Parts: sequence; structure tokens; C-alpha cells
Amino acid sequence: MTQLLLFNVTNGLIIGAFYVLMALGLSLILNLSNVINFAHGGFLVIGGYIAYTITPYVGFWGALLIAPPLTAVIGLAVERVLIRPLYGRDPLYSLLLTFGLAFIIEDGTRFIWGAQGKPVTIPAFLAQPLSYEFFFITGYRLFMVAVVLFTVALLFLLLRYTRLGIRIRAGTLDLETVSALGVNVRALRSLNFAVGIYLAGLSGVLAAGQLGLEPTMGAGVLMPSFIAIIVGGVGSLTGTLLGGLLIGVASGLAAVFLPAASEAIMYVLMAVVLLIRPRGLLGEEGMMT
Amino acid sequence: MLKRNFLSRISRRTVIKGAAAVGALQVTSPFIIKALGDTPVKVGMVDPLTGVYAAYAQNEVTGAKLALEQINVRGGVLGRPIELLVEDSANDVGTGVQKTRKLIERDGIQFLIGDVNSAIALAIGQVSNEKGILHIVSGGHTDGVTGKDCHWNVYRVCNTTSMEANAVAEQLFTKYGKKWHFITPDYAFGHTLQQAALKDLEKFGGTMTGNELTPLGTTDFSAYLIKARAANPDVLLVLPQGGDMINCMKQIAQFGINKQIHVAGLQQELESLEAMPPEARVGTWMFEWYWKQPGVPHVEKFVADIRKMNFSKVPTARHWFGYTSLMTYALVANREKTLDGVKLAKALGGFELPDDVKLQPNKCYYRAGDHQLMTSSFVGQAKTAGKDDVEDLFEVNTVVPGDKTSPAESDTGCTLQWPA
Repeated sequence: MTQLLLFNVTNGLIIGAFYVLMALGLSLILNLSNVINFAHGGFLVIGGYIAYTITPYVGFWGALLIAPPLTAVIGLAVERVLIRPLYGRDPLYSLLLTFGLAFIIEDGTRFIWGAQGKPVTIPAFLAQPLSYEFFFITGYRLFMVAVVLFTVALLFLLLRYTRLGIRIRAGTLDLETVSALGVNVRALRSLNFAVGIYLAGLSGVLAAGQLGLEPTMGAGVLMPSFIAIIVGGVGSLTGTLLGGLLIGVASGLAAVFLPAASEAIMYVLMAVVLLIRPRGLLGEEGMMT
Repeated sequence: MLKRNFLSRISRRTVIKGAAAVGALQVTSPFIIKALGDTPVKVGMVDPLTGVYAAYAQNEVTGAKLALEQINVRGGVLGRPIELLVEDSANDVGTGVQKTRKLIERDGIQFLIGDVNSAIALAIGQVSNEKGILHIVSGGHTDGVTGKDCHWNVYRVCNTTSMEANAVAEQLFTKYGKKWHFITPDYAFGHTLQQAALKDLEKFGGTMTGNELTPLGTTDFSAYLIKARAANPDVLLVLPQGGDMINCMKQIAQFGINKQIHVAGLQQELESLEAMPPEARVGTWMFEWYWKQPGVPHVEKFVADIRKMNFSKVPTARHWFGYTSLMTYALVANREKTLDGVKLAKALGGFELPDDVKLQPNKCYYRAGDHQLMTSSFVGQAKTAGKDDVEDLFEVNTVVPGDKTSPAESDTGCTLQWPA
């Protein structure tokens, strides 16, 4: 039993790492632009399908490098054309827009690549368990965790030490003052959106190796990512990180005791956190008013 | 300046309005496949063209379109052409019911086909029953459709979950062992499938080491697989379908579980195998129809015909479901020389499909007592790669006739209530 618990906690951390990558992108966009991006799962799908399309030419590693920036470019165009006009309005507008966009992306993918799922093959040496005992830790899962760790570290360094990062953080707290100080807020929002979508694209490539590539695959990972943000606390990226890992472990543990509740447990966790600490674990009071 | 303003008004507002109108039209009017001639016989098809079962649904529609073409070339139904109206149930019970009502009340269809999703199939079966419209469930497997929830007007082409379980269970038990562990999708289809297999297992004297209920749309199966392997069964039965099954099989292959435990399932589809990477195409399964049947008459022609409409891809069981559903209607209506729902429903009891429609070696007929098509099960092994054709991903070992896999009519729980 202890072994089973240990297995599932480790496994939960691995799954959680993946949620973190998705949730951080969502969180970046939400914090700076007040846009609840329901199309985030759609961008994950786009990233995955771009990877599927270019893999025959550039291989898995090439796709891992090329697909996320391509997704970010699409994201940039979407932000420029569709989302920018809504910045001044109630967040409900952008929520409805991205909600519709999610359907459009799903149907668009189905139209271009077909309704039937596509197989993505990962390098053989990654597709094997590391040991007989810990069979659920495959090379690919470890690789995913490594990519997530590296990306998260890079993101935090970017936010902490670069001018762009400092402006994003400042903008999160008080966008009007940042604007008054002469920062081009439009460009800042666009860049920030692109970074968020880049993370979605990267998640897409990683997910394509782990899951079946299907037009509907975005929906399955979108909700856990939102929950990660809410549990961690809106406005706090560290909170999002923590939230993602926490729900991963919680659903892993639930699978041991009450398998059918492994999905519901996330919502229960969210409800409990909201009851005890409405701002989320590391959220600051007054964010997202 | 004036001109510029005018132009910009046209180019923006008008275009947007125009686009919106065109968009709205697409949404509100059904996708009609027109046939030549006057007063066509309208046939409705409700299937989840979007959502997780979209690939299956679209293939069923393609199959029905082939049937439509062939029927109309041969003179239609009672000399009238058939018109097929396809509606998207969006994999949602409410939407499915609403679309069915619309097809019957507004479009005046005479015959209904659908749905892939068992829950929707049951729900729209109630609507068609209330309206007295002959209805063939093309691809929803849960027992109830031709079991305790059966109706006088509802027939079914695809297998019941019990038939699927019975087709594979004995072979699994004798060949691979008596301790079974289940991974079951947590909804109507999964439950009846698992119960049917468990019933067989207990009958043979085997034991179940566990049953993992996985919510529909589960992406990560590792926690369940950890439990399953810890239980050390002889056979691991993977019952989820569609994307869930693909995710589960991918993870089984990556964890190397298939090298320690025999992996099997009760229903496999070509759409799913094609979406998996080669290493995940393993295990013992049953197909409800398979495109490679050397020596069986008319199969090759059907494969060639579907290839023409399907980007050169071979037909799957889903194409055959759609095709057979519509063909059945045309055949029985032309034989009985009527479109009357009750008369046709009565005539379909015991109706045997001809060779060019059944496309399988065994006898294939609709049972009168529960309205279930006695169709074969193709039991065999998944292949990692096709030899002569990239889509030949299944090795058929045996083709079991439907009346061998189906429970007796008296055991299905179906009591048909005919209108007075």
C-alpha cells in the first residue's frame, strides 16, 4: 500500500508538471490582460498538430523547437485582430470570444487534419520505462518534467531580471501607471500573450507524444489548468506552479482510493481552497476585482 | 472621401452581416444531400459529427451516402428518390433529441438513423417511438437499445455490449488466464460492457482482480495502470473507446505493461488503431466488421466504392453500419411496397440481409423478438504494422456468427409494445 501511494504521488507530480506548463501560460495572460483564455486548449491542439505535420521533415526534436514559436505567431495574430479591441471592456467579452474561438479551433483542426486521431511517434529511447519497478516513469515523462522545469526556470528569470519581465510584473499590479510612464502597453500585452501561447504550443508538442492527438484533446487539459490557477491564487505565478502540482498529486492519490473520483477531486480541492482561503493559496487579496 | 466612406461601410458592415447570415444558414439548415426527381423520401441521420466520436460518426455518414447513391441509381424507394438529411448531435443528449424532433416535425422524415453515442441512441429512440418513425440505431452499443429499453420501431445494426463480450471472453479465458482486471469507462456503455464480460468470466470460474472506473475524457491512465499492475492479473481488459482508449493504449505500451500482462479488449475499431503509434497496436480484440475478407463476395467492391469517397482509405465497421442501416430501409420498403412505419417494423423481424449488403461470411438477420441484427464478430489480434496495405492492422482469427454471441431473445429483457 505504501508503495502504491508512493507510486501515485510521484506520478501525480509528473502529471502536475504538465498542468503547470498549461496553467502558467493561462495565468500570464489572465494577470496582465484580464483575459480568461478559454481558447488556450485550442492553442495546445494547434501546437500538437503543427508538430505532427512537420515531424516527417524535421523530426521530433525539430518539431519541439519549431512548433511552439509557430503557435505563438498564430496567437499573436489572434491577439492583434480579435482580442485587442476588447481590452477596454468587461472581461466577459473576451471570455465569450475565446470560448467561441475554442470551438472554431476545434472544428478548424477537424477540417484540416480530419476527425480521426493522428499517431505521433516519439524517439524510441524515450518511450521506455527506466526500471521494472518504477515502470510508470518512462524516459518521456522524465523528459517532459525536465522541459517543464527548464521552461519554468527560464520564465521566472525572464520575469525577474529582464526589462520585459519587470514591465509585465508591474503591469500586472498597475497597468495604468505603467502606461503613464511611457511603456507601450499594447506591445507589452501582445508580447505577453505570445509568451503565454508559446507555453500552450510547447504543451501541445509534449502532449502529442504522451496522448492521442485529436481535435478535442484541448478540452481535457484546460479545466485542470484553470483549477491550478484558482487553487494557487489568481495573480501569483508561484501559486499557479504550486496549484498545478497539488491537483496532479490529488488526482493521483484519488485514483488509489476512489478511482471514479480522480477527476472530481480537483473540483473538491478547489471548493475547499475557495472556502478556506478565497484568494487561493498564494493569491493576493484584491486581485481580479 | 465620400466614396471611401461608402466603400469602407460596404467592406466592413456589409461583409460582416453577409458573413453572419451565411454562417447562420450553415447552422440552421441541415446538410442536405439532394437527389434528382420529385417528392423524395426523406431520411434523417443524427450522429455526433463533432466531439470525441466525430471520426466514427463521419464514417457512418459516408457509408450511408454510398448506400444513398446506390439506392437512387437503382430507382430509389417505391420509385421515389431518397434524400438524406444529416444532423449533428454534437455528442450531447439534449442536442440529439432536439435535432431528432426537428427532423421529424419540420422536415417530415420517414426513417431515422443514429446515434454513435449509446445515451443519445436511447434518448432519440424514445422520440422516434413517440412519433412512430422507423429507426435503426447504427452505432450505439449499450444493451438497453435492444434490451429493456427496446421499442417496436427501433432496430439496431451494431452489436450489443453482451455480444461483444461473449465473442471474446471464452478465447481470452482459455488462452490467457482466469484473473482479469478491467479498465472501464464510467458511463452506460462501459458499465454494460464490463458487466457482460464479468458474467462470462464468472461463468467460466475466473476471478476479477479489480475494475478501474475511468471518467469519460480521461487523459492520463497511469494511476489506474499502476493499480492494475499491482493486482497482477493474467489479462488486462481495456474497455474505453475513442480518444480514451488511444491514450490508455499508448501509456500501456510506454510502460511496457503489454510485455507482462496480456492486453485485450472487447471492442476495437480501425479508426482507433490508426490513431495509435505502432508500438501501441497490441492485444486481442473484436472488430464488428473488417475490410479484408478474402473470398467473401462483394466485400472487395464495397472497399473500392468507399475508397473512392474516402480519400482512398478503406472502409471501417462504421462505414458498414451507416451503409447497412440505409440499405435495410430501402430493401424492406421496396419488398413490402409501403412506407408505413408499423408495417415496415413488422416486416423487418426476421429480415435477412442479402450478400451484397451483409458483406460477411455468416447469415445476418434482424431478430424479431428484440430487433437486434445478428451480425458477426471478427475476433483476432492487433498488428503493429500492415504488410500489404498500411491500413491492414488486424489479424482476424475467427468470425463468430451473431446468434452464437447474442444472449437468447428471452434473456435480453426486451418486451415489445406494438401500437394498437
